[in-house]
Formats: sequence, C-alpha cells, structure tokens
Amino acid sequence: MLRSLKLLLPALIPSWNFFDVIAPSPRIEYAVLAAPDADPDWREFRPRPDHVSIPAMLGRLAWNPRWNESLFLVSCAERLVDEPTAHSEDEIFARIAADFPEAAWLRFRLVFLSQESGALVSEVLFVSAPRRREDVAR
Amino acid sequence: MSLHLAARLTQVLLALALIQQSLEHLSVSPRNRPLFALRIALCAAVAAGVFAPWPLVGLALLSLVLLTRFQGPYNGGSDRMGLLALWCLTLSALVPSPRLKELFFGYLGLQLMLSYVVSGWVKIVNPDWRKGVALAQVFRFSAYPVAESLRGWAARPRLLLAMSWAVMAFELAFPLTLLWRPALIAGLVVAASFHLANACLFGLNRFFWTWLVAYPAILWLQARLV
Repeated sequence: MLRSLKLLLPALIPSWNFFDVIAPSPRIEYAVLAAPDADPDWREFRPRPDHVSIPAMLGRLAWNPRWNESLFLVSCAERLVDEPTAHSEDEIFARIAADFPEAAWLRFRLVFLSQESGALVSEVLFVSAPRRREDVAR
Repeated sequence: MSLHLAARLTQVLLALALIQQSLEHLSVSPRNRPLFALRIALCAAVAAGVFAPWPLVGLALLSLVLLTRFQGPYNGGSDRMGLLALWCLTLSALVPSPRLKELFFGYLGLQLMLSYVVSGWVKIVNPDWRKGVALAQVFRFSAYPVAESLRGWAARPRLLLAMSWAVMAFELAFPLTLLWRPALIAGLVVAASFHLANACLFGLNRFFWTWLVAYPAILWLQARLV
C-alpha cells in the first residue's frame, strides 16, 4: 500500500517537465535463439514503419494499443538502466515472447541513441541473459 | 458553469478516456484482462451516474493496484493526468464540505494551467530549446516519431525553430487566457490542437483524451475566480 501511494504521489503533485532535456533514447533489440549459447542475431524490436498516412494517424487517436505498449517498454528500458528491477526485464521479455510464439530461447539488449557533436551515437547499456520462451510469464 | 455540472462533465469525460485505454489494454495484455474489465465496469457506472461516489472510489483504489502492477504509470505523463483527475474527482465527491469540494476540483484546473506554463518554462531556460536544437533531437533520435519519414523533419531547422518558439510562447502565455473567458476558450482550442498534433506525430493519443478531461475544471475555476 505504501509503495502504491509512493507511486501515486508524482501524479498528485506533478512536475510537468515534459521534454526539458532530450535524454538518450532506448531501442530494444531482440534475438531469437535455438539454444542459450547460440550467437545472437540482434534485430530491432517493433521497428516503426517508413510512413504512416494521415487517416491512419487520426485513426490511432481512438485505437493505438501496440504503440502505447511500445512506449511502456521504452519506460521499462529506461528504468532497467536507471534502477534495474526484474519487473522491467520481465515486462520486456513478455512482449517479445508474445510476438515470437515459435521461439525456443530469447534475449534482448538495450541500445541508447544520443547526439554528440552533431553525430548520432549508440551505446549498448544492457544485455539480458538468455531466457527460455516457455519460462516467460505472459 | 456550476461545480456540480463541471464535475459531472469531467467524470463522464474521464470515464470515456479510461474505457478507451482499458479496451486497448484488453487487446494486448491477456494477464491484465480482469483488472481492465473491472475498470470498464466501474467507468460505465461513473458515466451513468449510478451508485455515486462508490464507482469513483473503486476506480481510485484500482488505480493503486495498476500503479503497482506496472511499477508506475503505464504511459507516463498522460496517465499521471488521468490519475490526478480521478483522485481530484474522488476526493471532491467524498468530502462533505462545499469549500473542500471546490478546493479539490479547483486543484485539477490549477494543475492543468501549470501543465502548460511549467512545460514552457523548463523549455525556455534550455538553450537547446531556444535554438530549435532540442526539437530536432526529438525528431532525429527519440522514440516518439511514429514513422521513419518523420525523422526527416530534423533536417528542417527553420521550421523546428518556429515550432519550438510557437510551443514555448503558447505554453508560457496560457495563464493570461484566464483573464477573459473567450481567451480561455480560444486557448483551450489551441491547446487541444497541440495535443492533436502530438497524437498524430508522436502517437501520444492518451495525452489528447486525458488533457481534454481536465478542461471543464479550468473553465469552472476561471468562472469561480474571475
């Protein structure tokens, strides 16, 4: 109960500091493995499409569950680097497992993008251990 | 607009916004379905105005369960505004004193105003925002643009500089709209357009609906104070 109230407090006394600084931005990359010790072939998880039409953008006002889930995973990724918890790792694994029902083993890593001296730079800040898909809680 | 009417309108808008969010959760999150099905039922009761104030109390308690479930708000700022509206409405409905009812509901209107002016302030004190660089970074590498084609906007510095200053000027000037009712209504239309643009470009549809929820509160607050 105390933990819930602690989580509620920033909503009741908000800071409203949206986009005050543009922090390094996480991308989740996943690997589907046949065995836990296999070499990972990293791929971006849920890459955004090249183009979204204006009618589709307007339609997403009413129905946007996948994107909102992806934004939740961005929060999990940031938490996993700032204050690592099993919860954030489990949440990310759960979404990857849902998208790859045939996978035997899964891994993911967090790549953070930022801009330094005008150039885009990326840094891997977290790499998960392999997890058997059937062990991932949905 | 009376306190009762403004609070009732806010309740209905909040119920509809939470139903929309809950339906999204039902489609992607099998293990959370019982929680969100319960939330839809409570929202329906709030919208219908039955068993008041207990469905609001139920939603407030359920919000604590969901905060624990996701270890925080599911979608950051938009969920925080939804939580703020929910708890202000619940406390306003529960307290017997008319003054306290006004205080809790007025707090929501005050926070809506602060959401714009504080956002404007934290931007304008940052040189990157004043130069348009921060917005270019949002388009270039942040997780928000909904399509790769939008990343090309990062290469349009004049447009982004104009957009940055338009946003900062509007956010900082928003409190002035409280001085005159037509100005406030115009300000809220501009603000809604801003949220609509964010929903389209960055997929932040929850912001659009949850900020609209708080509009009756600031309309009531302005009439109460000015």
